[in-house]
Amino acid sequence: MNKSAFKIFIGFTVISAFIATILLVINFIAFAIIGSDTSIDLNRNYPEETLKSVSKSLEKSEDGFILSDSFVFPQDFWCILINENGDIIWSKNKPDDIPSHYSINDIAKITRWFLNDYPVYVSAEDYGLIILGIPKNAVGKYYMEYSMEWFSTLPQRLIGILIVNLLLAAVIAFILGISLYRHISVLTNGIRDLRCEKDVKLNERGIFKELARNINSTSAAIARKNAALGVRETARLNWISGISHDIRTPLAIVIGNSEALENSPDLNENDRKRARAVTSQSIKIKKLIEDLNLISSLEYDMQPLKQKSVRLCPFIRRIVSNIINSGLSDNYEIEMKLENEKTTVSADEFLLERAVFNLINNSITHNKNGCKIRVESYTEDNTAYIVISDNGSGVSEDILAKISQIPKTAHGLGLPMAYKIISVHGGKMSAKNNNGFSVTIKLPAET
Amino acid sequence: MNELKNKKILLVDDEKELLKMTESALRANGFFNIYTAQTCEEAVSIVKSQKISLMLLDVMLPDGDGFSLFEEIRKTSQIPAIFLTAKGESENRIHGLGLGADDYIVKPFLMKELTLRIMAVLKRIYQTPVISEDFYLGKKRVSLETASVISEGKEKALTAKEFILLKKLYENKNRIVTNDALCMSAWGDEYYGYENTLMVHIRRLREKIEENPSAPKSLVTIKGLGYKLVVYDE
Repeated sequence: MNKSAFKIFIGFTVISAFIATILLVINFIAFAIIGSDTSIDLNRNYPEETLKSVSKSLEKSEDGFILSDSFVFPQDFWCILINENGDIIWSKNKPDDIPSHYSINDIAKITRWFLNDYPVYVSAEDYGLIILGIPKNAVGKYYMEYSMEWFSTLPQRLIGILIVNLLLAAVIAFILGISLYRHISVLTNGIRDLRCEKDVKLNERGIFKELARNINSTSAAIARKNAALGVRETARLNWISGISHDIRTPLAIVIGNSEALENSPDLNENDRKRARAVTSQSIKIKKLIEDLNLISSLEYDMQPLKQKSVRLCPFIRRIVSNIINSGLSDNYEIEMKLENEKTTVSADEFLLERAVFNLINNSITHNKNGCKIRVESYTEDNTAYIVISDNGSGVSEDILAKISQIPKTAHGLGLPMAYKIISVHGGKMSAKNNNGFSVTIKLPAET
Repeated sequence: MNELKNKKILLVDDEKELLKMTESALRANGFFNIYTAQTCEEAVSIVKSQKISLMLLDVMLPDGDGFSLFEEIRKTSQIPAIFLTAKGESENRIHGLGLGADDYIVKPFLMKELTLRIMAVLKRIYQTPVISEDFYLGKKRVSLETASVISEGKEKALTAKEFILLKKLYENKNRIVTNDALCMSAWGDEYYGYENTLMVHIRRLREKIEENPSAPKSLVTIKGLGYKLVVYDE
């Protein structure tokens, strides 16, 4: 299940259902308001109110009836007053097509309805029947009848409709959400692959066509860049190995000749010393070339390892013996404390030897006047530890801080190279000053 | 030893300067039957006409590479070979040794080192494996030929394991030999667990070669690492 797409799907469904409900409620209310407002507005004159005003303002005088002066009778309207005999006893604006006498049948017809197509409003007073007429076609009148049951079950039915609507909204939101989820999960998968710099080729269809196309082209762009970067790195690596290859042969000639001069009986002691200097400096260059190659391959090719099972204790004994056998001065004392003889690690032996050698050699070269070096090895929780410490002068904080960085010059390569080698082996290396210098290497032990 | 220096050595390298220099260095070290070639073609024709005892092959040659040259020559003869290469990658090293080369030297190299390696290969291939010379530990004479220790006219025989250990130590005299290396020479690759047995053998060996076995002067223990045979050359 695509997690982020699923979240989007849930959010989308909830929001859609919510919006649908809100709209439904608003519509419901608006409909109720509009539907219930049946007041008739004819140029700001309301027939019902006018009728009431007329009945209030109509006064009985000696020669019939009269509207009080304060009342302004609307122009389009007309009004008549009928007595018990059905005769008009007062009128205002009476159109010509209105009869002057009304039988009981006529009265029954016009009450609430129309008189000669004029919509009329009727008010029964003590003194007669007031009939107010308004222009033809101004209003429509409908007769409605509802059973009492209709009224009593109205709330339930309204709620039922609301619930059905809600369910419908939820179902529609869900169906839309599913289709959206399908589209989005394709996109989120694409973006996730993009982050891992995998090749992404999405189907460019549907509502997210543009988005899919952009993701595809971004993936293609990343692939292009990576390829270019790879080409450049390979070129660089080849260049370094090519250069070092080209230096080796002339350097071999330099070393060979200076070595011959060192032993030449034709030279005086001073010149032979000079030849020895040439040899030893050339050997330094040789070491630099080797370091350069190793560093560049470690840096750009993280998996050049020929891993095999290495038993740590014999491995360390061999390195320390080699260091002592190569003529270590008596000023240095190497103390060993190796535990867990059976421990093995998976490692490129050549590289790991380089790292451990570098670290021990570091203690020797940084303490010219001699020191005690302690080499420990033990295993805890499937981790093999190698601790190399000395009681010498320690190293500067600056060097400790930059232990993981390859220096810009070849000087001080030992620690960073060891660090890189240990990292490549999936291990960790940490260094500190603790009454001298101390390095701890952790490597995953084989089980 | 001089017999080995009679052996015919073929140097193959496209770099004329290096070829010349290596040749003169080898001559200075006592080798005098030296042939040189700059191409594969030349090398093949020399191998056909001369009885070459050792080849030093450059990996990069103008008309091919040292590896295929080596394979071609190996089809018809078993001449030992040392590769000289300007490529330091361990891949190359493994490839070279995998083909059956005897050694592999990365340029630049010290002539001293080259000579030692040439001697080592020659010794291994052409010299009878028994080290026949005798040597002295204090006043006691060790005879490797008879595998015995002679002191005050009395001869004490060494057991097979003691002999192997003493020989290993003598081959690396005045150098530390780790417990592991000693055990491996006596019991092979699956030596793990023989450390205590090794101590027993060393104690017996000391009883035979030391004046005072509890204060050893010749076969000294290097704590945590192994043993060292202290031999004073005359």
